[in-house]
Amino acid sequence: MSPPIRFDRLVHAMRFLLPRIGFLLILAIAVMALPARDVDSAASEADTACAEGVSPDYYEIELVTTRKVSGARLAKGVGEVTYVQSPFGISLSEDGSYLVNIDVSMSNVKLADGKQLVAWVTTPQLDEISSLGALDENLQVSGQTDFNKFLLVITLEPAGEEPGTMWTGPVVSRGMSRSGLMHTMAGHGPFETEPCAVYGY
Amino acid sequence: MQRFRFNGLLLAAVLLIPVLPAQAQEMDHSMHMHHGHDMSAGDSLAWRMAPMDGMTMPMMPEMMDDVPDTGAFLPGFGMDVSMLPEARPSEIIDMANGDTLRMDASMVRRTINGREYVMMAYGGMYPGPLIRADRGAKVVVEFTNNIEMPTTVHWHGLRLDNAFDGIPGLTQDPVETGETFTYELKFPDTGMYWYHPHMREDVQQDLGLYGNMLVDPTEEDYYAPVNREVPLILDDLLVDANGLFPYGEEAPTHALMGRFGNVMMVNGITDYSLDIEAGEVVRFYLTNVANTRTFNVNFGGARIKVIADDVSKLEREQFVSSVIIAPAERYIVDVYFDDEGTYEITNAVQAIDHFRGTFVPETHQLGTISASGSASADHADAFAEARTNEDTIADIDGFRRYFDKAPDHNLRLTIETKDLHPMTMRMMEVDTLYFPPIEWNEGMPMMNWLSTGDEAKWTLLDEDTGKKSMEINWQWEVGDVVKIRVFNDPASFHPMNHPFHVHGQRFVVTHIDGVPNRNMGWKDTVIIPVGSTIDILVDVTNPGKWMAHCHIAEHLHAGMMLGFEVRDPSMPNAGR
Repeated sequence: MSPPIRFDRLVHAMRFLLPRIGFLLILAIAVMALPARDVDSAASEADTACAEGVSPDYYEIELVTTRKVSGARLAKGVGEVTYVQSPFGISLSEDGSYLVNIDVSMSNVKLADGKQLVAWVTTPQLDEISSLGALDENLQVSGQTDFNKFLLVITLEPAGEEPGTMWTGPVVSRGMSRSGLMHTMAGHGPFETEPCAVYGY
Repeated sequence: MQRFRFNGLLLAAVLLIPVLPAQAQEMDHSMHMHHGHDMSAGDSLAWRMAPMDGMTMPMMPEMMDDVPDTGAFLPGFGMDVSMLPEARPSEIIDMANGDTLRMDASMVRRTINGREYVMMAYGGMYPGPLIRADRGAKVVVEFTNNIEMPTTVHWHGLRLDNAFDGIPGLTQDPVETGETFTYELKFPDTGMYWYHPHMREDVQQDLGLYGNMLVDPTEEDYYAPVNREVPLILDDLLVDANGLFPYGEEAPTHALMGRFGNVMMVNGITDYSLDIEAGEVVRFYLTNVANTRTFNVNFGGARIKVIADDVSKLEREQFVSSVIIAPAERYIVDVYFDDEGTYEITNAVQAIDHFRGTFVPETHQLGTISASGSASADHADAFAEARTNEDTIADIDGFRRYFDKAPDHNLRLTIETKDLHPMTMRMMEVDTLYFPPIEWNEGMPMMNWLSTGDEAKWTLLDEDTGKKSMEINWQWEVGDVVKIRVFNDPASFHPMNHPFHVHGQRFVVTHIDGVPNRNMGWKDTVIIPVGSTIDILVDVTNPGKWMAHCHIAEHLHAGMMLGFEVRDPSMPNAGR
C-alpha cells in the first residue's frame, strides 16, 4: 500500500522550488550547452602536448565576439600563431617581417543556412586586408601572414563564395596580434610631459 | 656512479676575472666620469653616453648622469697604436692529419672606416686563420697568449676530446699572458666551425678573436658543384666619435640585451666586396660571431638555397628568401647570381621603436657582390635542384623513435634582477605589453648599457629539480639520447631570444612550439625565440665535463650557463 500523499509537504516543496525554478532551468541549459569537445580537449590536453600547431601562448590571439550576429553572440575563438617552417626555426619575409601560420578555430556558433564564416587579417589601419579563407565544418581554417601588427577578423559571408579582397558581411569576432599591443608611450607613463605633437601623436 | 662536484664558483670567478693592462689598472678612476657623461670626451676610456643610433626615445633626465656599476675598460688603452703590427686579412691554413699549427692571440692595429683601433687577432689576422682539414683528421694547435688578459680557445661545434674544449676552470686553467697551451683538434663532422675565446668573450671576441675551421667531406659528390666557396663571418662593433666604446672592467656591461654594435662587418671589414662572373653559383659559409645580434641576410635578390646546418647537411636542401642566423650559428648556402650586375648583401630586419611602439624597417649594408662576364662552368641546373640528402636522413633515422619521448630535462629561460637602476625597473614595468620573438636591434641603449651581471642574472632553471644555472650538473652516459625541452619564458622580467649552445655533442631540433620539425640537420646552437618551446634531442657521444649556455656573450657572463657530465661506462675514470 502506497503511503498517503502529504499535501502540506508538497505545497512546502513547491513554495521552495518555484522561486528557484528559473535559476535551475538556466543552470540545466548551461550544462547541456557546454560543448562536448571542451571536455574532450581537457582530457586529451596531455596527449596533445606535442601535437601540431601548439601555439606559444604568448602570441596566441583571443577572438572576441561582437555580439551583433545572431547565432554567434556567444562565439568563442582563438588564433594560434606559429612560425612558418624554415631551416632557421623562425621564418621571415625578405624585409624581416615575421612570417607566421595562423590556425583559427571558433566555437559556440550556430550558422544560418547559406552562411559561412571567413577569417581575415588586416593591418590596424585597415589599409591592407588578406583572407585566410572560409572556416570549414569544424569551424577551423589556417593561413599565413607577414603583417607586423594585425587584426584577425571573422566575418559572416554568403556560403560557397570565394572570399574577395574585402569582407562584405558583419564582423562576428575579432582579435589582435600580440604585437598590436605595442603602442606609443608618448602621452602616458613616464613620458606624459612629452610634446606628443612633435612625434606625431 | 660517482658524481663530480662542479665548481661553479671557480668557473664563474675565472670567467669574470679580466686582467687589465698595467696602465689601465693604474689609471685614475675619476676618468670613469661618475658625475655625468662627457659628451666631448677626447679620451676613449671615459664613460660617455651610450651611442643612441636611430633612437627616437628622449633621454630620461634621471638617467642622464648614470654610468654602469663597473669601471670603463679598453684592452691596450694607452698603447701607441702605431707600434702595433697592422693585422692582415685571413689566410687559409690547409692542415693534413697530424699537422701542427702555431698560433697566438695578440694585440694588433686595425683600421676601420678610416680610424685606427687597438684590437686583437689570432695569428695576426682578421678573422683568424681559416683552418681547413678533411673530415676525420686530427691536428694540433700550439696556442700562445700574447694579449694582456688570460684567455682560452674554444673550438665551437667540434666533438673533440673534453680536455681541449677550452673552458677555464672546467677543462683547463686560463692561459695567462705569455703562456702556451696545446690543443688537439679532431674533426668528426663535415661542415663549418669556428673558434673563439671562452673568457670575457664580450671583449676578446668582440675585438677580433674569432676564426673559422672548414672541415671538408671525404665523400665524392657530398655537396652539389659550385663555382666558388666563400666564408662570410658576420659581426658588429660598437663605436662612437671617441673610438671604441669601452667595455666593463670588472664585469660586462649590456647585460640585459647584450652589446649590439653599430658598425657592421663582414670578415672583419666594413666594405666587403666580391667580384664574380655572372652565372656563378657561390657557396657561402656563414658564421655569426656577433655578441648578440641576430642577422637576416639577403643577397640582393639572388636565389638562396640552404645546404647545411651547424654540424651536418640538412635532410633536404631548401630554397629560402633570406638567411636568419643567430650568434654562434653557421649555415652553408648556395647562391645563384644569374645576371650581370651588383648584388648588395644586406641585413634586413624590422627593428622596434619602443617609444613610438612601431616596427621600423632597418637595412644594414654588409657588402657588395659584382657579377660580370660569364661563368666558365654552368652549375645552374645543379642549383635548381633541391637535393634530398639521404646520408643525413639515414644518420637521423636512428633517433626518430626518440622524437616523441617525454623530455629528460625541462629548462626554463628566465632572468632575476637585483638593484637595477630604478628608472630601468619603472620603464620595463611600463613597457611590458609586447616582447618580440627576436630582438633585432638595440632598442634601449641606455638601460641596456647600465646593466651588468650584478643586476641582471640570466638564469637557466631546471624545472624538474629547481636548480639554477651552474647548480645544474646533468649526468649522462655515452649512448644516451637526451631530450631537453627549452622554454623561453615570456613572463620573465625581460624576455629575450637566446642562442642555446651545447658543448661537445650534437643535437637535432625535433619540435618548435609543438610542431614537428620537417627538415633537420645536426646542430650545436639553436635560437630560442621569446615564448617558444624548443625540443632538442642530444646525441650523447662524447665523454667529459661540458657546459651548455646562451651564446650572447653578456648573458653567459650574467650566469646563463649550466654543466653536464657524460660518463663512458667503458672507461670508468674518463672525464674525471
